[in-house]
Amino acid sequence: MTEVPSERSGSGTPLVIGVGNEVRGDDAAGLQVTRELRPLVGDRARVVDCSGSATELLDLWEGQARVYLVDAVRSGGAPGTWCRVLVRDQPLPSSLAGTSTHGLSIASAVALGQTLGRMPGQLVVFGIEAVQFDPGADLSPEVRGGVREVTQALAEELGRPTPATTSRERR
Amino acid sequence: MTERTIAVDYLTRVEGEGSLHVKLEDGRVEHVELRIFEPPRFFEAFLRGRMYTEAPDITARICGICPVAYQMSAVHAMEQAYGISVGGALRELRRLFYCGEWIESHALHVYLLHTPDFLGYPDAVRMAKDDPETVKRGLALKKAGNAVMQMLGGREIHPINVRVGGFYRVPSREELESLRPTLESALEIAEETVHFAAGLPFPDAEEDYEFVALQHPEEYAMNEGEIVSSRGVRVSASRFDEAFERAPVAYTHALQSVRKGGTPYLVGALARYALNGSQLSPRAKSIAREVGLEPVVRNPFRSILVRSIEMVYACEEALRLLSVYRPPETAWVEPTGEFHGGVGAAATEAPRGLLFHRYQLASDGRIEAAEIIAPTAQNQKRIEEDVRHVVERSLALDDAHLTALCERAIRNHDPCISCATHFLKLEVERA
Repeated sequence: MTEVPSERSGSGTPLVIGVGNEVRGDDAAGLQVTRELRPLVGDRARVVDCSGSATELLDLWEGQARVYLVDAVRSGGAPGTWCRVLVRDQPLPSSLAGTSTHGLSIASAVALGQTLGRMPGQLVVFGIEAVQFDPGADLSPEVRGGVREVTQALAEELGRPTPATTSRERR
Repeated sequence: MTERTIAVDYLTRVEGEGSLHVKLEDGRVEHVELRIFEPPRFFEAFLRGRMYTEAPDITARICGICPVAYQMSAVHAMEQAYGISVGGALRELRRLFYCGEWIESHALHVYLLHTPDFLGYPDAVRMAKDDPETVKRGLALKKAGNAVMQMLGGREIHPINVRVGGFYRVPSREELESLRPTLESALEIAEETVHFAAGLPFPDAEEDYEFVALQHPEEYAMNEGEIVSSRGVRVSASRFDEAFERAPVAYTHALQSVRKGGTPYLVGALARYALNGSQLSPRAKSIAREVGLEPVVRNPFRSILVRSIEMVYACEEALRLLSVYRPPETAWVEPTGEFHGGVGAAATEAPRGLLFHRYQLASDGRIEAAEIIAPTAQNQKRIEEDVRHVVERSLALDDAHLTALCERAIRNHDPCISCATHFLKLEVERA
């Protein structure tokens, strides 16, 4: 099995994972962030999209030093607000667990990864508060604002050699 | 009169969400309602006005678990409308693509969703704490399926390389051959999986299913064939309405599919195995015999064994397709002649069962109407029957155990509620 790098061995290109479904309203928020982020970060990060299935996430992040995951969430916050969570050895905060629209959730991926030793060196989750997941709908205007802010925050963070270590912030 | 209600407001370990409501009166099951929402119906509206070439990409997004199935039913339906015939290596690549999805989806269900039921765990995470090796086997199998999907689809989720007529790009022999070691090891794990599944404790059950699946004269059907049933149906996809009908049901957003006359039927691994099991590979058949799997499985709890056998077959079939592959001269077939509009219909075998698509197209190729019937919408009424029988056999159980058993009865059929629905909840009402 691949050796998982420790949090302090954070070398290598960071990986950004946008999670969501392109045609389910605000569920596309994470994918919109990766779309806007790609031209801003060039080769400073590898940027990929994912439906959010737990097993796919494990495959993507296993062995990576630094991983950023962006997803739409529903945790009761105001539409378009967002939070940044540094995931350590604990479960995802309950406000983020189970709010994903995807089958086996990101929280399951984190729990399974922690149990099987398949976590990246460092995992930071950005959650953007969604309004609706209607098939065929566009992003809600408030969520668009959140997408812009998260893109900017990620671009700044990826411009720095090591990520900020704040464990949780809400804006 | 005594009333008892069993309610599951949030069904776990099914793809997506839905709910179950069971009402008991004087010790009899009064009614069973499986409530699900059905995004395909929203997608039907979303597809109107789009070009026929867009349907594979759009419908692939209905379900993160079986995008290949949606793409395959869409392209076959469009090709039927345009009179395009796709054969040779392109046809074989499609079959290989489907093998990847069967392996991927079955591995997820067998190991992460279904096995915890038999071993008494609330979920795969808790199971992984005690028995990481079992979960790792499942993940390795799933990854092998993903590798096939990624090679042919461009991306493993919502593949983007499929188009009407074929693929945007086809792999070289060398690229395809690079999958061989992964698939050879997957085949070994799949065989271990059958033996593992055979050792699980199965509750007793015997259901009188009408099985429905595609059937092809020369192969275990995936992409092509006639729709047949264990009670004599035999129709092409374009004559689907002659044998089946869809009825709206007040408590669910999904249209329930039934046989003409209103009786439920079952699609999926149990149906395929019952109707087409003689077409499995010798190795898959011999392993089935070794573990004592009956030729027709009517105990839905044993579906985990049938899915495991199908994984063995899909790995073997994928390896065979690698061996015979010679890249086609063109990556896709273009429609020829003038198109005057018309209707195209097709059904393919999604991991969870028959997936039917029908499109009405204008002469410029725009979609005027779309109809998508997902496997779970077809199984919904039949799953309610399974739940009814489980409850009738187990009335002495307390609510917690009865509820757990109901959930298991639902999970036996691997309902994909994210494509048959979005947000699952169980209620058993009794007094």
